[in-house]
This record gives sequence, structure tokens and C-alpha cells, in this order.
Amino acid sequence: MIRLLRIARREYLAYVRTPGFWLSLLLLPVGLSTAVLAPMAVQHNAPTPRVAVVDFTGESLSGVVGGALADSGASTKAVIVPAPGGPFANPVEASARLEPYLRGQRTLPGGGRLDAAAIIHPAGDTVAVDLWTRNVVDSGYEQAVSAAVQDAIRRDRLRALGVDAKTLARVESLSPVVSLFSPKAATGKVETEDRLPEIVGLAMGLLLWMVVLTGAGMLLNSVMEEKTSRIIEVLLSSASVPEIMGGKILGVAAVTGTILAFWMSIAGVVIAVRSPEMAMGLLGVFTHHARWAYFALYFAGGYLMFATLYVTVGAFCETTREAQTLLGPMMIIMSIPPIFMSQAIAHPDAPLLRTLTWIPLFTPFMMAARAANDPPLWEIAATGAMMFTVTAFELWVAVPAFKSGALATGRFDIRVFFGSLVRRQAP
Amino acid sequence: MDATLVVEGVTKRYGAFTAVDDLSFTVKPGEIMGFLGPNGAGKTTSVRMILGLIAPTSGRVTVLGADDPGQVRNRIGFLPEERGLYRRMTPVKAIGFLASLKGLSTAEGRRRARDLLTAHGLAEFMNKPIRSLSKGMAQKVQILSTLAHDPELVILDEPFSGLDPANQQDLEDLIRGIAARGATVIFSTHVMQHAERLCDQVVLMTKGRKVFDGSVEAARAAAPRTLLLEGVFDPAALADLPGIASLTPEPLEPEGVRVSVALKPGAPAQEALRVAFAKGLDIRRFELREPHLHDAFLLLTGEGGQSQ
Repeated sequence: MIRLLRIARREYLAYVRTPGFWLSLLLLPVGLSTAVLAPMAVQHNAPTPRVAVVDFTGESLSGVVGGALADSGASTKAVIVPAPGGPFANPVEASARLEPYLRGQRTLPGGGRLDAAAIIHPAGDTVAVDLWTRNVVDSGYEQAVSAAVQDAIRRDRLRALGVDAKTLARVESLSPVVSLFSPKAATGKVETEDRLPEIVGLAMGLLLWMVVLTGAGMLLNSVMEEKTSRIIEVLLSSASVPEIMGGKILGVAAVTGTILAFWMSIAGVVIAVRSPEMAMGLLGVFTHHARWAYFALYFAGGYLMFATLYVTVGAFCETTREAQTLLGPMMIIMSIPPIFMSQAIAHPDAPLLRTLTWIPLFTPFMMAARAANDPPLWEIAATGAMMFTVTAFELWVAVPAFKSGALATGRFDIRVFFGSLVRRQAP
Repeated sequence: MDATLVVEGVTKRYGAFTAVDDLSFTVKPGEIMGFLGPNGAGKTTSVRMILGLIAPTSGRVTVLGADDPGQVRNRIGFLPEERGLYRRMTPVKAIGFLASLKGLSTAEGRRRARDLLTAHGLAEFMNKPIRSLSKGMAQKVQILSTLAHDPELVILDEPFSGLDPANQQDLEDLIRGIAARGATVIFSTHVMQHAERLCDQVVLMTKGRKVFDGSVEAARAAAPRTLLLEGVFDPAALADLPGIASLTPEPLEPEGVRVSVALKPGAPAQEALRVAFAKGLDIRRFELREPHLHDAFLLLTGEGGQSQ
């Protein structure tokens, strides 16, 4: 056991001392900060859009449309400028004269370019707005103008029918109160906190998926490096195969655990500072029905199951190309869980998801994602037992195969690899 | 005194291929044993069976009194044939780590590492990454890593390969030092000179089979001594010399001949020389050449083309 711990310690320190570890550690905080700060920075530095309004309706809609454009949901508030090149005889002429300003071929009298223009004109019983904008992606202007003109026309028509201003204001303030209730909600009424279990379940499933992929890569490279340099032979003369495999798996688990613990601490502090209620809600998700133990079970089982596989594969490979030969199909299989995990939020008990739960390679991911639905105890016990049985079988096969691979020399031979697994062939 | 290593009738087969065939030998404490043979003779397979890395198909290996070498792995030091260490680690940490797997505490392992590195002229490199060391220094570090835990049995697989002459001499001294403190050293090599200088016992293997087991002197005795005669005479006149096994003439410039007379085992060279002079031959130079281990190796293995 002490050898296992010493191998784990060396493995841990070997990774902790690399720049890659520190980059990984800082990745999430830097990424989160960028995600929060970047849009603010973009908005802060964006130039103020200039918009012009031309009204042919005679209904004084220019103020309404101008206000809507200025306050629209566009990234930055706009300023209304007098329409350049006016006056205009009709909407077609207005469009034709404004277009050079919108194209940037001409500048506004005070300098600068025109970013958007609204040309309002009658259209039968209603009005039409030809909205010109340089930014075709930003639909904020379109929605704001549409809503503002609709409200203005409705108000105008109701006023014409004799509705007084007070009644009009009261009618406009009427809106239905819709509340969502669910038996899964703590108080019956669904609050933001009640949606947290689904989100946490998906997050934990994806986190496990990331840990497995990251840890597996580390393990694979570590064993390959030791095999290439023949250190593996010295290790085999100093420790048993379970000690070597266990030490490596534990060491890399500690590395990924350190990164996760750091990330989760940072995220926890940020959430606690910005929204203490959300932090308490998250804490509640983990402590409800000892869900933390549930996640720990599937994290441990899932990591062990994949780590054993990757360590064994590493023992047979001396180059990345050889490893890719073996792991190509594995990577295709590994791409399946994320697709279905996201479905677990809306349909945690869908028959397909429940079926996937019983495929050992998918069990830890699917069960983590389905956590919010509180799967029955028998299902937890049975899938847990299945997962650890598969891992135990894997170890039973892998221990002699690892030795066989580690001592083999020459080019990787896939027949030798599968032969070693099937026959549990020690050299 | 109990033998350090007893190998009894050990055979290793891989399918139809027999890598080692019915190998038996014994090594006593404090001895230096050379495991000799051409490439592919079965040396590395035998070493792996001694270490318990692979299991024999049949036969028995007893190491330091244990039937399972795994039980005594803390008392064994092993250097594999193709060598490498953790390139990013320093020599002190690498040796300390490997010693810690052999039962020492990490602190004690590092203390011994510093002592060993200092004693072997690597003090100024002990805290530098191994990747910054020269190949010779890195090999020395790995050899020292097999010794930090004071093993009773040291197994070195081709330890001299890749070392320059000065480092080879250092390693020879190191091996003598290990044996001098009572430990047993087994090393495999196909370089006969090292074995000849170092070994108390040699085991010669070829094609998986043992062809000799005994002292260096006994091995040499298996090869013929050679009487070298130069002069102006007819080589055929030497055909009836007493104790002669064969003779090989070659012409000399500007005149004369050199004849290598191989003597039968135990045949007295003086008697052959006396008879040659008694024949009144014009012998101008003579020399008795004792056989080297190399000669014995060629004779016993029949693999001259691959030896040095």
C-alpha cells in the first residue's frame, strides 16, 4: 500500500510541477472572468449608433419610433439625429437619399455615419415602417419599433373610439399572472432554486465526462512515457502491478481533484458573493438525500472504470499513433453521453435515457445527469454494483495484460493486445 | 552459506518458441557472475524470470531463499537493458523515489542519493533535471538508483552498453565495490573483457541453452592454448608436434611464415616447442598465447560473428 501511495505522490507532483497544470487550474476563473467582462468591455467601447426617423403618416409617430429606437434592446443606446438629405417627397425617395449615408458613402452634417433609419408611411388601415440598419444581426431595432408602433396605433384607435386616457392606461397595465407549480418543488410553487437539481445533475455529468477524458489522457501519456524509457521495467521489479496501476490512477485522480476543487471553490465564492440565495440553493441540492454521496459514487466508479482501461492501453503503446489506433473507437463511444445528458434535464425518465443507464460505459454519466429525478434506491444500488463489477472484471483482465504490454517490445500489435486481454496472458 | 540465487531446470516457452531451455545454475553471496551470450541467447528472459517479472514455463527460481522473487524485491536492485529515467526529475529525487519503493523512507532515500552522487562525482548535478545531464551521467544516475537501498542482489542487464571507456572503468570499480561489501552481482553482457576482469563465475548461453557454467579460468581452459611460431621453415614440419590440435600458417613479408599451433587441452606447450627446436627448424620468434574468455565464448557458443 505504501508503494501505491508513493507512486501516486510522484505522479501527482510530476503533473503539479508542469505549466500545463497551472494553466488548467486558471482556465475556469480566467474563462469566467472573460465571459463576464468581455461583453461589458465590448458594450463600453462600442460607438453610439445614430438613427434617423422620417414620418409620412401625419400621426406623429416619429417620436414614438425615435424613442423606441433610442431605448431599444440593441447593444448600445442610440441617439436620434435629423434625417440628412431631406425633405423627402415619398418613402421611396427617402430610402434612396438615405442609403448613401447608411452605406457610409456620405457622412452626417455633424460628422459620423448614419447607423439606422426608420421610414414610417401609411399602409391601408395601418402603418408600415421601413427600417434600414447597418447591423442585420441585431434584431433589437425591429422588435422595439414593431412593439412601439403597435401600442401607439392601438392607443390611437381606442382613443378614436372614445376610450378615455385613464381607462386606456388601466387596460394597458393588465397582464396575466402565471405561476408554475410542481410536486418536485419545495413549496409546490416552482422557484429558480427548484430548477437547480436538473442543472447541477447535468453539470456533474459533464464534469465527470471532462474528468474522465482529461485524466485518461494523462494516464495514457504517463504509462507510455514510462514504457518508452523502460522505467516501467524498474517499477515492475519494485512494486506489484496493482500497486503501479493503483498509484497512477490515484495520482492522476488527485491532480484532477485538485483542479476541480479549485474551480468549485472559486465558483462557490463567486456565487456566494453575488447571490447568497443561489449558493444556499446549490448547497441544498448536494445535501438533499445525501446527493453528494450519489455523485461521489458515480464519479469514483466512472473514473476507475475508464482509468483502468486507459492505463492498460498505455502499457501496450510507445507512440501516440499507436494509442490512437486503440482509442479511436473509444472516443466515438465517449462522444455519445453528452448528447443524451442534455436531454435528461427535460426528460429524466425517458425510456432511452433509462436504457442507456444500464450500459456500463454510460452508467456514471447518465446517472449523474438523472440525479435531479432522484432515481429509486434499487436503481442506484444495481447500477452501482454493475459499475464496480465491470471495473473489478476489468482489473482482473487488465493486471496480467498490463504486465504483458509493459514488457513487450517492438511495434504495437492489436492481436497481441486483444490476445492478452482475452487470455489474461502474463508474459 | 545459502546460495543467493538458485535456478533449477528453468524453461520458458512462447508458443512453439523456446526462449530459455532447461537452465540451471547457482550464485553464492558476494560473487560476481557474468551472464554471457550473443544477442537473442535468452539472457534478458532469464533475468526477467529471476526478477519474477515473467513466470517460467517450468522449473524453479529461488532468490535470497524465496521461491517468489516478489517477496524479496526490496533486497534486489535491477538495471534494465534499455535505460531511462524521469527526465524532468532531479537525480536526487529520482534515486530517492526508486529507493522509497524499495522500503526506504523518501528522506532516507534522498540522503543516500546525495551520498552516492557525491561519491561518484555527480554532486554538482544532483539537483539539475536529468534531461540536462549527458547520456553518460544519466546512465550513471540510473546505475546508482539500483544501489541506494543497499540490495543484497544486484542484477544489471548490459550495464556497460553506451558508456565511454572512463565510465566503463568507473562501473567496473563500482561492481567490485558492491561485491566487496558482500552483495551478489549478476550482470549480463556480450562484451567478454568486462566479464573476464570482473567475474568469479560465468554462465554462457546460446540459443536459450546454457553451454558453460564455471569460473573464468575454467572457461578459458576450455579453449585451446596457441603456440605462435615465426621463421623460415616448412609448416608441414610441425604437423607431428606433440599435443597439437591444428595449425594455421600464414606467409610473412618479405620472407618466412607465421604458424598458429592450437594445442589440445592440457597439452604442455614446452614439449611442443622443444620438439620444434629439436627438428632444427629456423625458428626466429615464438610466443605462447593463453586463451581469453572471448576465445572460449567463440568456441562454446559457436556464435563468433556476434561477439566482441
